[in-house]
Amino acid sequence: MIKNFLISEKEFISIMKSCLNKNNKKITTVENRINIALAGNPNVGKSVIFNQLTGLSQTIGNWPGKTVERMEGHLKFLGHYINIVDLPGIYSLSTYSLEEIVSREYIASDELDIIINVVDATNLERNLFLTFQLLELKIPIIIAVNQMDILRKRNKEINFEYFESIFKVPVIPVVAVHGIGVHQLLEEAIELIYQQEFHPHQKEHKLKSRTHHHQSFKMKQVYEQLKSQSSFKKIFNFPDLSSLLSFGKEVEEKIELLTTSLENKTENMVKNQYPSRFLALKIIENDKEIKNLILEEGHYSEIIKISGEYRKELEDYHGEDISTIISSEIYLNINKILDEILIIKSKKDTKKETLTDMFDHITTHSIWGYVILALILIGIYLFTFIIGDFVGGKIDELYVNLSININTDSIIAKILWEGALGGFFSAVGSVLVYVIPFFLMIEILQDSGYLPRAAFLLDKFMHVLGVHGKTIITMILGFGCNVPACAGCRIMETEREKKISVALTSLVPCAATMVVVMGLVGEYLGLGYVGILFIINFLVIILVGRILNKTMPGECTELIMEMHEYRKPNTKVIMKQTWKRSREFILKSLPIIIIIGISLEVMYIFSLLDPVNFILSPITVFCLGLPAVTGVFLIYGILRKELTFALLEVLAISIGVGSVSFLLSPIQMFVFSLVTMLYIPCFTTIIMIAKQTNWKYALQISLLEITIAIIIGTLINWGYVLIISV
Amino acid sequence: MDIIDKKSIMNNNNNNSLTKCLGECEIGDELEVIKVDAGGSATQRLASLGIVPGVKIIKSRSAPFNGPIEIIVKGTKIVLGRGLVSKIIVSCNNSCNL
Repeated sequence: MIKNFLISEKEFISIMKSCLNKNNKKITTVENRINIALAGNPNVGKSVIFNQLTGLSQTIGNWPGKTVERMEGHLKFLGHYINIVDLPGIYSLSTYSLEEIVSREYIASDELDIIINVVDATNLERNLFLTFQLLELKIPIIIAVNQMDILRKRNKEINFEYFESIFKVPVIPVVAVHGIGVHQLLEEAIELIYQQEFHPHQKEHKLKSRTHHHQSFKMKQVYEQLKSQSSFKKIFNFPDLSSLLSFGKEVEEKIELLTTSLENKTENMVKNQYPSRFLALKIIENDKEIKNLILEEGHYSEIIKISGEYRKELEDYHGEDISTIISSEIYLNINKILDEILIIKSKKDTKKETLTDMFDHITTHSIWGYVILALILIGIYLFTFIIGDFVGGKIDELYVNLSININTDSIIAKILWEGALGGFFSAVGSVLVYVIPFFLMIEILQDSGYLPRAAFLLDKFMHVLGVHGKTIITMILGFGCNVPACAGCRIMETEREKKISVALTSLVPCAATMVVVMGLVGEYLGLGYVGILFIINFLVIILVGRILNKTMPGECTELIMEMHEYRKPNTKVIMKQTWKRSREFILKSLPIIIIIGISLEVMYIFSLLDPVNFILSPITVFCLGLPAVTGVFLIYGILRKELTFALLEVLAISIGVGSVSFLLSPIQMFVFSLVTMLYIPCFTTIIMIAKQTNWKYALQISLLEITIAIIIGTLINWGYVLIISV
Repeated sequence: MDIIDKKSIMNNNNNNSLTKCLGECEIGDELEVIKVDAGGSATQRLASLGIVPGVKIIKSRSAPFNGPIEIIVKGTKIVLGRGLVSKIIVSCNNSCNL
């Protein structure tokens, strides 16, 4: 089967080259590249398939202008360049979350050629809900039925022949974790590209004989397609699925009426990529995005009006919300076919109390749940701190040893050495050494499936801050490093919650802040004061949450979250993910740190920092009662918070007092640490907040945090002064 | 609203089952969803997760301090915030009230 394609492809290229000998370069890139998207519910194994396919050659692409991150990877398969996009997990093609909107837009875009819809064999009913909606888009689709091994363990089987015969699209059994069936998905995709229609597998012998017969004709079509620059999916012969997809009489009537009136008007629609029936469905469902899209195209207010009447009629008739009516219809259709697709071999009772059930029970327990949560947080912190401290110490030693042998008398050498290399070493030695073990712990925590349990336990509390339980997930991530944690805030469904979540997450004391607090207050004042600092930080988080909850328009949405089963963390996956995230961190942060390191060094050499200290002195000296020199340190601290402490130490050594305790009094240490904890998210975090929301908001949050830090710092400083004087 | 009332009365009369909100049910109860009245987008999300009238669910867990509850729908565990719980009307057959 595959050989056929290879030959046909070669022939195809040679013909294309002879046709367009001057533009052959363009042809190979266009013709050879196949864009595939992986779509499916969360946690069905899309990313596992993605990793299996793209392997080490994957690249992480952040898409400009998009709020939700998508992963993109490339591979070469049977002479084709295949571009795979791993879309975020979605339950439906509605507009409940940003992820759904972004996924839907991408799927409908011209860029995409084929969707691989990954479904979980053990939860077909719910997974097929999305499949049914994807089928409405009339885009070439392959259904990958994953976790077949688990299904078979439960003495169930899937009738693939029947499955394909009613869906009329390729349905492939897959065991993604073992790579079974994964490459068949690509073979199938290439087959779809060349056939431009789907031939069921049981008729494979016919398909082979057809291939050659169709070839010259198909090539002409592909050639036409290339010339007109339109996408593959438009020329794809999508099967008629009306018997599978049509709804009950009342609903179907209305949708058909709308579809016809849309079809009469859609001829001139340019921007719109969706089939008329899908549009009709979405208009009747009152989908705002689709309604706007249609209104943009021209005078469709009439159709919108009619659809409103239809919606009301249906809602009155059924006594339900329109989304409930449509969803019920889809589930009805699914249940009609489910009994035929899913074969239950024996009805053995599989509901045995397993180890994971027990673990689930303990971690959501009303007492033990919280104890375990606390232990996990402390454990992660300790692990990160111990490893980071040890390795960081070794790297610092290396830098000091290197510095001895370098002559930094000339200005250029000073800038390069202390700015660039110093920046590089402190990035590696003070940040990376904490970040990598932290990522490792977080990956383990994520892969095990624990985090939703924390969200479950703390949902009620988080409502006080104007968000639901999912924010606790990103806040736990924030304990190690705010940057990936703020990036994780994309899981929040609404803009409002995303905004509050990034603000709260950016206030969580990260590993770098811990370095300052432990090094200063922990070392000289004792752990009790560290505890007080943490309590103040915690109260500030509550305060900011309350402020944002009050000032931001809208309401807190309720938690709707799937609680995935626990699973044994996969070492290979964890190592790979940790490395991938660390690498991304290195590639993105290191250049910025080095550039700013150089510029600050330049400012330092040309005494540009003294005016800064002078300007800041009303705040640092008068309000906070700190030495003027700390002004610059706090500026440095915006770059990386641990620098505030590191520079204090450097200063202590260079003026010959040896210990920070000679520079700062106990109260100054306390205020300095507190301000460092609160005063601003670090530079990279601010960038991430801006990326997740916008620059205006990122600056607003920074200003809010600066204000709070100054107010609290001033209160403590002056409160202390007053108490002493009394 | 008329329809729910009729339905609930019918349920009460015919099956001796009770209609109440999900929050009032006991843990372990097997329930049937009668009505989801959570407002536009939340109803939509619940529907896409299979929480539609007529579907059988089990209330499996409840978080402390009047927190969210966990239900099992179509073999999947789903956590719902307390605010939603009061908007889901379920019918409880006799066994769970005893």
